[in-house]
Amino acid sequence: MLENSSDNIIKTTDITKVYRIGTIKVNALRGINLEIRRGEFVAVMGPSGSGKSTLMNIIGCLDVPTSGKYYLNNMDISKLNDNQLANIRNKEVGFVFQTFNLLSRSNVYGNVELPMIYSTERIINKKKKILDAIESVGLTEWIRHRPSELSGGEKQRVAIARALVNQPSIILADEPTGNLDSVTGEEIMAIFQKLNSQGKTIILVTHELDIARHTHRIIYLRDGIIHGQEKVNNQVSAEEKLKQIPKLEDKITAN
Amino acid sequence: MKRLLENIKIAFQALFLNKLRSFLTMLGIIIGVGSVVAMFSIGAGAQQSVIQSVQSIGSNLIIITPGNPEEENYMGAQLAFGTQQAELTIDDLRAIEREATLITEVAPVIFSSSVASYLNKSTQSTVFASTENGREIYNMKIEKGNFYSKSDVSNALNVAVIGQTVIKNLFRKTDPIGKIIKLDGKNFKVIGTLESKGTDTLGNDQDDFISVPVTTAQNKLYGLNSYNMILAQSVSEKDIDAATEEIKSILRRHRNIRFGEKEDFIVQNQTQMLDVISIITGIFTVVIAGIASISLLVGGIGIMNIMLVSVTERTREIGIRKAIGAKNRDILIQFLVESTVLSVTGGIFGILFAVLISGILSRYTFLETSITVFPIIIAFSFSTVIGLFFGIYPAMRAARLNPIDALRYE
Repeated sequence: MLENSSDNIIKTTDITKVYRIGTIKVNALRGINLEIRRGEFVAVMGPSGSGKSTLMNIIGCLDVPTSGKYYLNNMDISKLNDNQLANIRNKEVGFVFQTFNLLSRSNVYGNVELPMIYSTERIINKKKKILDAIESVGLTEWIRHRPSELSGGEKQRVAIARALVNQPSIILADEPTGNLDSVTGEEIMAIFQKLNSQGKTIILVTHELDIARHTHRIIYLRDGIIHGQEKVNNQVSAEEKLKQIPKLEDKITAN
Repeated sequence: MKRLLENIKIAFQALFLNKLRSFLTMLGIIIGVGSVVAMFSIGAGAQQSVIQSVQSIGSNLIIITPGNPEEENYMGAQLAFGTQQAELTIDDLRAIEREATLITEVAPVIFSSSVASYLNKSTQSTVFASTENGREIYNMKIEKGNFYSKSDVSNALNVAVIGQTVIKNLFRKTDPIGKIIKLDGKNFKVIGTLESKGTDTLGNDQDDFISVPVTTAQNKLYGLNSYNMILAQSVSEKDIDAATEEIKSILRRHRNIRFGEKEDFIVQNQTQMLDVISIITGIFTVVIAGIASISLLVGGIGIMNIMLVSVTERTREIGIRKAIGAKNRDILIQFLVESTVLSVTGGIFGILFAVLISGILSRYTFLETSITVFPIIIAFSFSTVIGLFFGIYPAMRAARLNPIDALRYE
């Protein structure tokens, strides 16, 4: 256990995952050794079929590896049952999806509250925590609105607030800008960078190098193994980039 | 508790989202519960009115009729006038009067039917011929004038006491007291009128009724020496069975019926008649329960069907909830609550529906209804159980969904 009491919030050793589709065996992951430090902002890139999604499912505790060990926040996750995994997801992981995945019948407040509903621990100052999370993504004015009344960028911000509300160890963002235009995508990246600067560990799955360059480190996956890693020099600042893009309203008034 | 309330809220949201679908699903339960409660209210109403009319004849009543107790166990058949069986006579009456200790009053009765007329109007009415004791035993209440007295009976006077329908048919607005009516062609002086008793359970008018002294009826109307019924009143309600047995043994001795021989008379009391009624209502209840369980089964299958659709439609929602930390049990409870809310709401609507129906029935038809708490509680708990039972399978399917697949579901 000594090796795990490090500053690594995520450590995997030789993770493999084998799926059976009928009689065919698919080796989705073939030995992943990965370490992510507390407070790091990491991008995972790779073509489809590279094992990206499988790795994210395991890191997000939605699935367990066929073999190998996975430590999240110094806990061995590899052998947990469904209920224990649900607990870990609730406490330690905040998900942000490409398709937002908000509950259409609940308003902003209700969506952000959701992880707290399934919390097994008693939460003190519940309402304040929810309001703080909503404020941190700048949606305080939209608190009573339903997802259908929000734009794509606003929906993704609700999802980020939801991911934050239980103070998880990691935020796992799966193509969070995939359904957004480039300006809105940049705004979302600005939020992630701000959260990271406040100490949050963020793992971002993307296939866009532009987006990946907002992080500290890029991990390349191919055919179920880590093909390469790259430390990002000259990290792109979303704030800076947004300043360079003339505001749409400005353009209209200029014309 | 808070989570349960949250689940109930979610369930109502889901139901409101598909108003028509929810309503159609509930319809099975509404009809099931509604018909059960309505049928029970009709049954209870009928039972009450039967009991009322039995009791309106007189409390603690014992009825003695001629006949074979093993052949015919219902007094109605013995009411027919002039049966060929052994007769009840004044000797029997005197024997009971003399020897019985558990009865307060005894009265002979001849039930018949005669044509009554006044001036140019005439009507066919029930004639109840008895003694002065008959009034109390048969629970008749004098409205105006007097009932015939003991001396009227012993002198066999031509006097009559008449009911409200007879008054309406023969006299309209005229005061009938002191007027002379003809009964089968004989003159009778009206000395009293009776308060209204209404109709009995079978719809017979109990006010189309004329009472005359039994001696007058025997001598001047029908030429009889016997009675077709003797009525007795027991000391109290708890003594009624003992009093019945006592009369039976007095009459056996008096009529020289040896041990082991069959009686040629029947002694019945109200408790026994009420027993017959409760057997009938018991059968009625079983039939209703059968209908109810079938309709609730159908309703339950409808709920299961729609819950399966709902689970499929909301696969993605289930995936989101599970990704965020919902356990299998949380999802199970959410969908169980939803199916239960569906069936319980249906149950409540069903009860309201039944209250409406029985209200309409008792107002616009001859049926009497009575909404009681018992069937409502039963119907309510049954609809809860149905919701839980038929919700289990869909809820388990929802709970077992793999979050990864559920999130990917389009």
